[in-house]
Amino acid sequence: MKTDLSPRMKTALYGLMCVLLIPFVFPTWWMITSSVKPISDIFAFPPDLWPRRFDFSTYAQVFELQPFARQYWNSAYIAALVTAGTMVISSMAGYAFARIKFPFSNAIFMVVLLGLLIPSEVTIVPLFQIFLGWGMINTHWPLILVPIFGAPSVFATFVMRQFFIALPNELEEAARVDGLGRFKIFWTIALPLAKPALGAVAIFTFLHSWNLYLEPIVFLSSTQMFTLPQALTHFTDAYGGAMWNIQLAAATMTAVPVLLVFIVAQKQFVEGLAHTGLKG
Amino acid sequence: MAPVTLKSVTKSYGATSVLHGIDIDITDGEFVVLVGPSGCGKSTLLRMIAGLETITGGAIEIGGRVVNDLEPKDRDIAMVFQNYALYPHMTVATNMGFSLEHRGGSKAEIAERVQWAAGILGLTHLLDRYPRQLSGGQRQRVAMGRAIVRNPQVFLFDEPLSNLDAKLRVVMRGEIKGLHQRLGVTTVYVTHDQVEAMTMADRIVVMNGGRVEQVGAPLDLYDRPANLFVAGFIGSPSMNFIEGELTPAGFKAGNITLPLPPNAPTSGKATYGVRPEHLMLADDGVEAAVRLVEPMGSETQVALSLGEQSISAVFRERIKAQPGTTIRIRPDANAIHLFDATGTRID
Repeated sequence: MKTDLSPRMKTALYGLMCVLLIPFVFPTWWMITSSVKPISDIFAFPPDLWPRRFDFSTYAQVFELQPFARQYWNSAYIAALVTAGTMVISSMAGYAFARIKFPFSNAIFMVVLLGLLIPSEVTIVPLFQIFLGWGMINTHWPLILVPIFGAPSVFATFVMRQFFIALPNELEEAARVDGLGRFKIFWTIALPLAKPALGAVAIFTFLHSWNLYLEPIVFLSSTQMFTLPQALTHFTDAYGGAMWNIQLAAATMTAVPVLLVFIVAQKQFVEGLAHTGLKG
Repeated sequence: MAPVTLKSVTKSYGATSVLHGIDIDITDGEFVVLVGPSGCGKSTLLRMIAGLETITGGAIEIGGRVVNDLEPKDRDIAMVFQNYALYPHMTVATNMGFSLEHRGGSKAEIAERVQWAAGILGLTHLLDRYPRQLSGGQRQRVAMGRAIVRNPQVFLFDEPLSNLDAKLRVVMRGEIKGLHQRLGVTTVYVTHDQVEAMTMADRIVVMNGGRVEQVGAPLDLYDRPANLFVAGFIGSPSMNFIEGELTPAGFKAGNITLPLPPNAPTSGKATYGVRPEHLMLADDGVEAAVRLVEPMGSETQVALSLGEQSISAVFRERIKAQPGTTIRIRPDANAIHLFDATGTRID
C-alpha cells in the first residue's frame, strides 16, 4: 500500500525509526569495535564509540586459544544438516497434513503442535539418558537429531502446512489429469511453489541450530567437538575471567554468517512468513 | 474422439445425495453443455467424468470402456479449469508440454506438439513467458493449449470463461467453438451462463438440484421447454409466467384475457409462459402499465405491470413510452407455452 506522507511526518517517522534502532544496532556496534580494542580500553569511561587504538591480534588469538576453525566447521556442518533434514521432514509432513486426507489428521497435527509447548529444559535430561544409552554422548548426533525431530521441525511443519493449505486445489487436479502421482505432484508442483516458505524454514532452522547453546553444553565435553556458542564461553584467563576482546572477536566471527544469511535472504524470510499468516 | 455415456450416475457425500441418477449419452465428437444454477451438481458431474471425484453409483463410460475406477490420467481426457490452473513456476511451453513429458514423449515430439497447439491458439510468441506475464485471455488460451496438445479423446471445460470480462468472454466463446469445429473432439462444457450454453452447444443438458431437467438442442430447449424450470432458465430476459385459468375464450388471469395457441386445452388451471421477445405492440392488445424502459440500441427492454403481474417485454422498435404511461401488447399466439400445476409442459 502506498501512502503519501508530508515531509514533516516523514522526518518525524525516520527520526523515530533511528531512535528505535539504537537498542538493536548499538550492541552489534559495541561488539565489533570492542573486538579490536585492547582489553583495558573496553571498560574505559566514558565508553569510546570508535576505538582509540586498534588491536587486530585478538582475531589471531581466537584461533590460538581454541580449535576455533574446527568449532566453526562443527557449527556449520551441524546447522547445514539440521537445515536440510528439517526442510525434508517439514515439507513432507506439512504437505501431508495440508493435502492428504487421512483419519484423525487434524487431531494428529494438534498433538504434533503440542510439542512446541514443552520447553527444551524439560526434555534435556531424558534426552541425555537416551543418547547415553545409544553411546552418542560427546558426539554431534544429539545436536542433529533433536532439532530435526523436535520443536524446530514442528514449527517448520506448521509453516509448511499453512503454505500448502493455501495452494489452489486446481493445480493438483490439473497435475493429476496430466498424469502425475502423489509424490510427483509434491515434488514437481507443490515444492517448487513453496520456495518462499522453504526459504523461511531454512533461515530460522539454520539460525536456531547455529545459536543452540543448552544442548551442546549438556551433550559435548571436548573442545574439539564444541560448537561456536559453547566455545565462546571458554575464552577465559587462568583465573576464569573472561578475555573480553578475544571473546568479542570470536563473537563477531560467529555473528557474521548469520547476519549475511539474514541480509541476503530477508525478503524470502518475510515472504515465507507472510504465506503462513504469521505476519501481520 | 470417443462417446461418453453416463448410466444412472449418483453421487453422495455421506447422507447427502447431490446427484440422483444421471443418464446422458454423448455421441462421438459432440459438444455438450451442462448448464444450471449454482449448486445443481454440474461441476461435480464433470469432475466425476474427469476422475477427480469418486462415483457413488452407476457407471461412466468413455469410448465404451467403464472408467469408474480409473485414475484421471488413464481416462484419456483433458480438462480446462475455471481458474486456468497453470503451473506458475513453468513457462507457457513447459506448461503445455508437461503432460507429454510425464507420459514419456520425446523432446522432439513434445516440441512439435507444443508448436502445433501454440500455432492454432496464437501463442507462438508467448511460449517463453510465465503465466503471471499473461493477460486473462492469454492464460485461458494456454489452458486450452495444454488440453489439446495431448490429443485426448474428450475435452472437459469447467466454467472456463467465468473469470474473463464480458467482451473477452464473447471472443473466447468463439475460439472454443472454432477449436471444437477444427478438432472434432468430444467436449463436455460446464457453465451457469445460458447464453454460453445456447451459442456453443450441439446439445444442452439443463440440470437442477442434482437432476437432469431436459436434454436437447439449444433451439429445441428454447422452443419447447419441458417444464417451468427449463422455460425460466433458457432465454434472456427470462420467460414471463402468468398464473390463471384456461377457458374457451382464452387464458384468464384476473380481468385479463390472453390468446391461446391453436389446439390448446380450454379448461383447468395453468401457467401461461411467454417470452419477452414474443410480446408485440398491438392496438387490439391488452393494456399494460410501463414501469421501466431500458433502451439497448438494437432493442428496447420494458418492465411492465399486467394486472397484478410483473412482466418484461423486448421490442425491436424504439418505443417512446415513459414510465407511468400505458401501452397495449399482444402475445404471439404461436409462441405460447402452457404448464400444468406440476410445472410440466402441456402440449
